[in-house]
Amino acid sequence: MKAVIIGNGAASLAAIRSFRKYDKKSSITVISKEGGNAYSRVLLPYVLRGKLSYEKLFLPFSDKLDSLGVTYIEDEVLSVDDAESVLKLGKHGDLFYDTLLIASGSKALWPPIKGICQPGIYHLWTINDLNRLQIEFSEKKEVVIIGSGFVSLQAAWAACSRGLKVTLIEIADRLMPLVLDVRGSGLMAEQMSKFGVNVYTSTITEEISKREDGKFFILLRDKENILADFIIVGAGVGANIDFLKDSAIEFARTIPVDNYMLTNVLNVFAAGDVAAGPSVFGDEHVTHALWPTAVEMGKIAGANMAGQNIRYDGSLNMNVTQMFDVTVASMGKFNDADIDDYYVYDAESGKGYCKLCYKDGLIVGICLVGTSEAVSLLGKLRPIIRNRLAVKLPPAKLDAFLNVRFFQK
Amino acid sequence: MGNKKKVKTTCRMCGTLCGITAHIEDNKVVEIEGNPDHIFSKGRICIKGSSAATWLNLPDRIYKPLKKNIKGDFEEIELEQAMEEIAAKLLELQNKYGNNAIGFWKGEGIDFEQQEGLYRRLAHAVGTPNYFSNDTQCYASRHIAFYLVYGCWPLADYANANLIINWGTNAPISHSHWTQAINEGREKGAKLIIIDTRYTEIARQADIYVQIRPGTDGALAWGIIREMIKRNEIDHDFVDKFTVGYDKVVEYAKSFTPEYVAEITAISPAVIHQIVDEITKARPRLASWVGCGIEHQINGVNNIRAITMIDALAGATDRKGGMRTPMGFNLPDLTLYEKKPLLELDPIGAKRFPVIYEMRHECHTLMLMDQILSGKPYPFKGLVMSAANPVLTNANSGKVTKALSALDLFVVKDLFLTETARMADYVIPAASYLEREEMFFNGAMRAGFITGKYLDYGLQTEYEFVKELAERMGAGEYFPWKDDHELNEWILKPTGYTTEDLHTAPGGFIFGDNPTEKHYQKAASGEKMFDTPTGKVEFYSMYLEAKNIPGIDALPQYHPPYYLAQPDPEYPFLLSTGARKQKYFHGRYRNIPQLYKAEPNGHLEMHPDDAKALGLKNGDRVRVTSRIDSFDTIVQVMHEKEIFKGSMQHTHGFVNENVNNITYDDVYDPISGFPVFKSIQVKVEKIDK
Amino acid sequence: MKVITLDTSKCVGCRNCELACAFINSKETCERKFSMIRVNHYIEEHAVIPMTCLHCEDPWCMAVCPSGAITRDPETNAVIIQDEKCAGCKMCILACPYGNIHFDAELMVSHKCNLCEGNPRCVGHCISGALNFEEIEDFNERSRKKVDLEISKYMKQTCKTQEVDSNGK
Ligand SMILES: Cc1cc2nc3c(=O)[nH]c(=O)nc-3n(C[C@H](O)[C@H](O)[C@H](O)COP(=O)(O)OP(=O)(O)OC[C@H]3O[C@@H](n4cnc5c(N)ncnc54)[C@H](O)[C@@H]3O)c2cc1C
Ligand code: SF4
Ligand code: SF4
Repeated sequence: MKAVIIGNGAASLAAIRSFRKYDKKSSITVISKEGGNAYSRVLLPYVLRGKLSYEKLFLPFSDKLDSLGVTYIEDEVLSVDDAESVLKLGKHGDLFYDTLLIASGSKALWPPIKGICQPGIYHLWTINDLNRLQIEFSEKKEVVIIGSGFVSLQAAWAACSRGLKVTLIEIADRLMPLVLDVRGSGLMAEQMSKFGVNVYTSTITEEISKREDGKFFILLRDKENILADFIIVGAGVGANIDFLKDSAIEFARTIPVDNYMLTNVLNVFAAGDVAAGPSVFGDEHVTHALWPTAVEMGKIAGANMAGQNIRYDGSLNMNVTQMFDVTVASMGKFNDADIDDYYVYDAESGKGYCKLCYKDGLIVGICLVGTSEAVSLLGKLRPIIRNRLAVKLPPAKLDAFLNVRFFQK
Repeated sequence: MGNKKKVKTTCRMCGTLCGITAHIEDNKVVEIEGNPDHIFSKGRICIKGSSAATWLNLPDRIYKPLKKNIKGDFEEIELEQAMEEIAAKLLELQNKYGNNAIGFWKGEGIDFEQQEGLYRRLAHAVGTPNYFSNDTQCYASRHIAFYLVYGCWPLADYANANLIINWGTNAPISHSHWTQAINEGREKGAKLIIIDTRYTEIARQADIYVQIRPGTDGALAWGIIREMIKRNEIDHDFVDKFTVGYDKVVEYAKSFTPEYVAEITAISPAVIHQIVDEITKARPRLASWVGCGIEHQINGVNNIRAITMIDALAGATDRKGGMRTPMGFNLPDLTLYEKKPLLELDPIGAKRFPVIYEMRHECHTLMLMDQILSGKPYPFKGLVMSAANPVLTNANSGKVTKALSALDLFVVKDLFLTETARMADYVIPAASYLEREEMFFNGAMRAGFITGKYLDYGLQTEYEFVKELAERMGAGEYFPWKDDHELNEWILKPTGYTTEDLHTAPGGFIFGDNPTEKHYQKAASGEKMFDTPTGKVEFYSMYLEAKNIPGIDALPQYHPPYYLAQPDPEYPFLLSTGARKQKYFHGRYRNIPQLYKAEPNGHLEMHPDDAKALGLKNGDRVRVTSRIDSFDTIVQVMHEKEIFKGSMQHTHGFVNENVNNITYDDVYDPISGFPVFKSIQVKVEKIDK
Repeated sequence: MKVITLDTSKCVGCRNCELACAFINSKETCERKFSMIRVNHYIEEHAVIPMTCLHCEDPWCMAVCPSGAITRDPETNAVIIQDEKCAGCKMCILACPYGNIHFDAELMVSHKCNLCEGNPRCVGHCISGALNFEEIEDFNERSRKKVDLEISKYMKQTCKTQEVDSNGK
C-alpha cells in the first residue's frame, strides 16, 4: 500500500507516527511545499521573543523521517485526481496513492485594507515570516499590529519583550474573542497597557501608506492616525485547499470530515487546520486551527489509513500561552452566548481570573487569565468536558473532586 | 580521592531511630537514604533523615573548642586546654560551694540509653547527684504512668492489631515508622481511632476521629471504662489473676456516664458508644499509644494511667496485636544509683517531685533555673550540657536565659553554635551520630542496633569527653574502657553476643523471641509477673498509696486541666505547644537551608471562628501574651475541623517566634513535675508588622 | 518496568515526599513549588491524595508538545521533559489529565517527575508506605490481596462463623 500525505506539519507528523504504529511496512510519502525540515509554527513567537533558539523550531524527528520509512518530496501539490488516485505535483509530476491524507494546514490572510500588500507588512505564520521579522525586530523601533488573535498578541508580547514600542489595533470591541470571554479580554488589555502597549479596540484601519522617510502612515477611522516602522497583520486564516478545485473532494472554507477523518471520497482523509471535524459538543464540522486538535486528528487519520477503525470522539478547543507575565488559557465554551451559568474563583484560590462555565448543568468550558498553577485544572477538566460527566459539586470543591476521582476506579 | 563507601546505620536526627544507608565519599556524607533491611523503617526515612547530609557538612559546624574571652567573644583553643580548664573550674566550684554545686545535662540530641547512662554515671562519679535531661519535659511522664500500672512500658503491636487507638500522638510527624506499622495493621483490617484536639496527619486516615477538649482525656478514658464494665466487655480472667484495684475502678467509674463525660470532653455519647463498640469487636487485639499531647497537663500522669487501664481491662496486655511487654537484655547498668546514690546531697527536684526522682532519677530542669537564680536551697554554679538547646526548648525562655548567664561555668557540647551554646563559657565540638559506635535496643522486638565511627574529624565522642573529664576530676576509675568500642563490648558481654554480631545486621539484630502472654508463664513458675510492688498490674497504685503524698491519688482519678481549673478571663484562649513539624526536631535543623526556606516561621494555628472573633486572617502578625511574657508571631487559620475551638497551637523551636517565651515554668503535674505546655492561657492581639 | 504506585488509603499527607522531591530537583530548597509530587489533603472529604506522573503508556503530553521536548527515557521508561528544548508554552500542563506537570517560573519551562533516574526519592521518603516503586503486577497483586481480605471478612460475617481465640471470647 502506498500512503501519501500532503503537508509536513503537526497533523502530518502525528499521522505518520500513528500509521507506523499499525503498519510497519507500507510506504509513506510526504509532500510539502515549505522547504526544509518540519518545524513547529507554535514556536515561532517564542523564537521571535528570544525565549527559544532558532534551531529548537524544528520538530525532533523531522530530520529522521527516512528512519520511519518516509519519502519526503519538497514540492507543491497543484491538483488531485481522486478518480485515478493521483496527485499532480509542481516539479515531480504525478504521484499515485492508495490512501491520501490532506494535512496542508492554513495560511494567514490579508484583510481588505488599502495598501496592505507592500514590503514592510508581515504575517507571523511561516518560518519565512519569522526570518524577515527577526531583521525588523533588531533594526526597528515601532511596530503596529493589526488584529488581536492569539498569534497577534504573541507577536505583540515578543515585540514588547524585545523593547519595541507596540500599538495594537483591533476592529472588534475586545481582544481575542476566540480565546477569552469579555472580562478576560478586558483584563488582558489592562495587562498589556501595563507593559506599555497601546491597545485600540473598535478601531477600523482605513488605509496604510508609506511616507518618504520610510515610515508607515496608518489612517484610522475617527481616531488619530499613527506611525510605524513596520506592521504585523493577523486577521484571519484560510485553509490551503486551492488544489482541490477540480476534484470531487467536497470542501467549503475547509474540508468536512467524519469521525474517522474521512472526506466524502473513500480513500482520502483530512486532518488539522485544513479539516472540519466533529466536536465534543456535537457539532458535525468545526475547524479550530489549533495545534492539539491537529495532533489528535492526525493521530486518528494515520491509524485509519493503516486500516484501523478508530473513531474520534470530537475535538475540544484549548489554548494556552504565557504572555505579559500572565498565563492565558481556555478550553471549550466560555462566551456568554454559549453558556447559562458560570463560577469565578475567588482570589484565595490562587488562580487569578478563572471562570468555570456551565450549560444545562454540565461543565462546558473554562477560561483563565492568571497563574500557571491553574492550567492544571484545565487539564483535569478535559476528560470531564469530553465525556460530558455531570459534576454535582460546588465549584470550589472541584479540585478535590478531580483529584479524588482518579482513585475511585 | 574517590574513597566511596555505603554504610548501613541508624538515623539519629530524631528519636525514632530509622535505618539509614549513608553514602560517604572522602570522609564526607554525600547522601542518606533509607535502609531497606531495617526491621521497622524498611527503607523509608523522613526529610530530616536525608537532610543530615547537608546538616553534617554545614560550613558553620564547629570543629575546634571555643572559649569566651573577657570581651565576650569566642576564641578557638586546643582541646587539651579546654578540658584542663573545665575540669579545674568544676573542681574549684565543688570545693568552694559543695559537690552538688555542679551538674550535667544530657540533651535529646544524643539519644537516651547509652549516652544518658554515661552522663548519669559521670555526675555521680564526680560526686554530684545533679543529672538533668530533657526528660522532665517530655516522655518521663508516660514512663511513670505506665510503670505505675505495669512496671514497664508496653508497646503497641500495631501490625497485628484489630483496633488501634492513638491519644494525643501523631505518628507521621513524631514516630515516622510507626505509620508503616499502623498502616500494616490497617491493611490487614484494623480500625483506627484518633483522639486528639487537632485533626493531625494520622487523623486523616482515621476511621473515627474524636476531637476532644484539651486535657480531658482522663474523663473520656473513665467513660470508656464505665461502658466496658456495663457491657461486661472485660477480660475477667486477666483482671482476676493479674491486677489489683478492679473493684475501686468499678466504683469510681460509676459516675462517668456518657452524658457526664460528654459535658467534660465535648464528645457526644454516641461517639463514646462507637469507641466501645470498636473495642468490643477488636479485643483483645487493641493496640493503643499515648503521646506527649497528654503529658503536658496537671493531670497528665493520671490521664495516661486511666487510658492505659483500658488495654488491661480489654485483655490486650502482652497479647499479639495488643500491648506487648518488653523483654530485657540483661545489660549492665551504667549508672551509679546503687553504689553512690548521693541522696544526702539533695538532688534538685527530688524533694518536690519525689515520684519522678524515685522512678526515673531525673533532676528537675525548671527548678534548676530557680535554684541558679536564688541560690536556694544551695548554690548551683557550674553546668556541663551536651546536645541541648534549652534557651529555645525549655519553658520560660526568659528565665532560662537569665539563669544560664548567672552560672560561674557553663560548658556546652554541640555541633553548632546554638542559641544556648552562644551563652557558654566553653563550647566543645561534638562528634555526630556517624562518628561514634553506639547501641540501641528495642525490648518489644528484642532487637539491637549498632552504629559505627563512619566519619572521623578527630572529634571527641560523648564517651571520650565523659571519660576525660572524669579522669581530670579524679574519677577516672569509673571509666576504664579505652573507647566506645570497648565500652560496647562490655555492655554486650552478659548477652553472649559481641559488637561484631550486631554489625552483621545494622537494620536490627534479633536477640531472640519475645513470646506473648509472658505473665501466664511467670505465674506458673512463680516469678514476679509485673515489676510493680504487688507484682500485678496496678489499677490502684500501691506505690503511691505507700508514698501518701497529699493531692496524689493511688487511683488515677480525673481532675480538670489547669486552664479549666483556674480559668483566667484576662487570658481567654488556650495555647498548646509542642506539636512538631516534619522538618524540625524541637530546637534543631532551622540551620538546614533547604528546610528553613520551606518553613522559616512558626505560626499560631487557630480555629476560623477564633480568627474571626479576633479580626485575624492568614499571615497577620499577632502578639501572644501569657502572664509570663509575650512573643510575636504569624497567624495561620486552620480549617474548622482541624483544631478545637478556643485552643491554639504553636510549634516550638523558632527563634523569631519563640513560644517558650510565654510558657509556664511554674505550673506542673504534681506527680511528674511536667510543665503544662498544653494549658497556657493567653490573649492574642493583632499588631502591625 | 517499575512505576510509582500511590495508595490513598495509606497516605497521611506528611509531605516528606514533596520536600524530598523539591530538594533533589532544586538542590537548594524544599519549597513545595519545586516538587513534582503534590499531596493534597481534603478535610471535608476525609481524603489525602498524593499525585505524581504516572508515565502513561500513551502520554498525551508527549503527543501534544510542539517542541518535542517530551520523550521517554529508554532506561527507566520515564516520560521526561528536556529543559533546553521546552518553550514554556504550557501545552503539556493543559494536556495532562492528572495535573502532574508543573511550571518553573524561574526557568520558564515545564517540569515533571523523571523518576530520579530510577531511584525516586519520594518513595524513599514515604514514611506511611503509600508510595511504592514497583512492577505494576506487584501492585495489582497487593490490590487483589486486599480485595480477597475484604471478601473473606465479608464471608466470615455472613456465615456467622466466629474465631475462637485463646481468650475464649
Ligand atoms: C505563529 C503561530 C502560533 C501558533 N500558536 C498556537 C498555539 O499556541 N496553540 C495552538 O493550539 N495553535 C497555535 N497555532 C496554530 C497551530 O500552529 C496550527 O493549528 C497547526 O500548526 C496546524 O497543523 P496542521 O498540520 O494542520 O498544519 P500546518 O502545521 O500548517 O502544516 C501544513 C503543511 O502543509 C504544507 N502545504 C500547504 N499547502 C500545500 C500544498 N499545496 N502542497 C504541498 N504542501 C502544502 C505546508 O507547507 C505545511 O508544511 C499557531 C500558529 C501560528 C502560525
Ligand atoms: S523519623 Fe526521620 S529523623 Fe527520625 S529517625 Fe526516622 S528518618 Fe531519622
Ligand atoms: S511547556 Fe515545554 S514541554 Fe510542555 S508542551 Fe510546551 S514546550 Fe513542550
